[in-house]
Amino acid sequence: MKLERKLAMRNLLRNRQRSLLTSIMIVATVSLMILFQGLSDGGHRAMVDIGIKMGLGHVLVYQQGYNDDPSLEHLLVDATATGQQLQQSVPELTHMVRRLHLNGLIQAGANGVPITLSGVDPGLEVQVSRIADRKSMMAGQTLAELPRERSGHGLPGIVIGEQLARNLEVGLGDRVTVSVKPKGSSDLSREAFLVTGIFKTGMQELDAFWAELDIADAQRLARLGQEVSVLALYLDDVEKVGPVAARLASQLPADKYEVLRWDQVAPELHSAVMLDAAGMYLLMVIVFVVVAAAILNTILISVMKRTREFGVMLALGASPALVVRVVFWEALFLALFCIALGGALGYAGHHHFATEGLNFREVFGTTLEAGGVLLPDRFFSFIYPGKLAFCLLFVLLLTLLVTIYPAIRASRLAPVEATRHG
Amino acid sequence: MARPRADKAVVPDAPGRASSTKKATTMANTSVIRLEQVGKVFEQKKQRFQALKQIDLTVESSEFVVIAGPSGSGKTTLLNLIGLLDQPSSGKLFFNGRDLSQCSSTELAQLRRDQIGFVFQAYNLMPVLTALENTEMVMEFRGMAADKRRAAARKTLTALGLGELMDRYPDQLSGGQQQRVAVARAVAGEPMLVIADEPTANLDSRTAESLMDLMSQLNREHGITFIFSSHDPRVISRAKRVISLCDGSIVAPVSLAVEFSHAV
Repeated sequence: MKLERKLAMRNLLRNRQRSLLTSIMIVATVSLMILFQGLSDGGHRAMVDIGIKMGLGHVLVYQQGYNDDPSLEHLLVDATATGQQLQQSVPELTHMVRRLHLNGLIQAGANGVPITLSGVDPGLEVQVSRIADRKSMMAGQTLAELPRERSGHGLPGIVIGEQLARNLEVGLGDRVTVSVKPKGSSDLSREAFLVTGIFKTGMQELDAFWAELDIADAQRLARLGQEVSVLALYLDDVEKVGPVAARLASQLPADKYEVLRWDQVAPELHSAVMLDAAGMYLLMVIVFVVVAAAILNTILISVMKRTREFGVMLALGASPALVVRVVFWEALFLALFCIALGGALGYAGHHHFATEGLNFREVFGTTLEAGGVLLPDRFFSFIYPGKLAFCLLFVLLLTLLVTIYPAIRASRLAPVEATRHG
Repeated sequence: MARPRADKAVVPDAPGRASSTKKATTMANTSVIRLEQVGKVFEQKKQRFQALKQIDLTVESSEFVVIAGPSGSGKTTLLNLIGLLDQPSSGKLFFNGRDLSQCSSTELAQLRRDQIGFVFQAYNLMPVLTALENTEMVMEFRGMAADKRRAAARKTLTALGLGELMDRYPDQLSGGQQQRVAVARAVAGEPMLVIADEPTANLDSRTAESLMDLMSQLNREHGITFIFSSHDPRVISRAKRVISLCDGSIVAPVSLAVEFSHAV
């Protein structure tokens, strides 16, 4: 082993207590950093995952102008053909659903509530949506579970939110009337529906002002043909959203279609994720400062305590560069050890939460909501390898950065004074 | 810089000293150190202290010189200048005939590394290195190949009676043994000059005597120039030449001896 590395390693081992204390601090911060990063990113993915399953999608294709004016005047008229085209050109696609959104009034007796009606393909929607899936159903059946033949009443089924049912004072099997303004007419179109299911998502917006019905019923109610509001695309990986959206935007005629990512359609959800991520970054900065301070403290004390030794080395003809290298190796050994150990411990923690998940309800006694999205009771840690590598590399670089001052200080010692140092 | 060098590592008791004798002969009458009107002033908090005053001094190759004088007389300051650890405030300093006034700190460090060995009063061994590694250290600074410097260090330590202790760390050695390791470190690289600042100050009289024997043997058999400082009359008496300092000036040895005997 070269002299500088030998001196560095043995000096760390000589001051075992100091090295150990510093190591514990750095190892703890690095491992906690990985753990929090994993839980944070896992939480964000859960938020986004749930968000896109609440009537959204990873990528959404609209008729040009729909987002500025979401009326029946801006509907996709050739959704079937467009859908087939997208099926072929987007290999990342796992599911694609059509939806027709209508603004309307739902009434039961003397009670009336303005709501959003979402016409869906029940068989497809159940695979990608959590609004009215089996887990969300408080009572009754999902649209997909309804028999194709209508009930004895001859009324089509509708699934409504729990809060909406209370506001309308209706229950399963009750009749409600839905009114919408059809395309190209000033008269309202009315139709009676049977409440066949009541869902609860935990989101006020959905539970109080949302109803789902078969898309064919919605099209008939609005006196439409095969027009839909949106084609919602679900991809195999949320990380591919950006590239796929960009590719589609360039492939589809811009004067006819508008391609948006989930974060553009639901900016409040994106902001919530970003805000939470910003909090995480702030925590990272604190972690980095702690690590930097710990290493600076250790190296600086180590250098000051060895003033005489460095003075002797310089007196005997060691180059200042060699003294700098000794100090740097010391910091590097310390940092590498701590990063390796902290990384291993942090990864073990991440692995636990990535496989077992973190049960928020057990830990905090309640379910968390963020950005209008009710987080699942249990979510799983997730680590982006690039982000993790960057953080660990940053700790390493930070270590070397904070070592510059003690290293230069040691190399510039005047041998005469330094050798007299007690 | 060209300079005469012994062909082998220093082995005081090894037979066949032909190369060392030749070295001692060829280096005779060559000035290793020459000071011309050298002064050293320290300034601290607007206070000015003249530590050395117009020193003229020449030390020839293979000399065994002691700088004597009471505490505060300027011995260490003079040794620091001769050892190129400090630079004079005035006058000129020549090392092996070279004027050092224009030398950079890097050049001075290289000269120290290649030409000068140091023995400090407090030994100043690296606590995390073994006796062998301490002895090798300066040679490693020079970039000498590992096998060569290790062989030289082993040979030197064995010659100085530390053959059994070379794998011990300084804190496992007595004061006298540590100082012998310091001497080994100073001479293993075959320097032109060895500077020793009060090398016996921390040793008991028997160990001090033994160390003086060792240094004079190295001087005698290898022609290494020794300049050391002391205020111990028993050590001073071992020197071939005494440079007496008093209040920063060189004074006549006799007068210093008289003054010294009063002080002691």
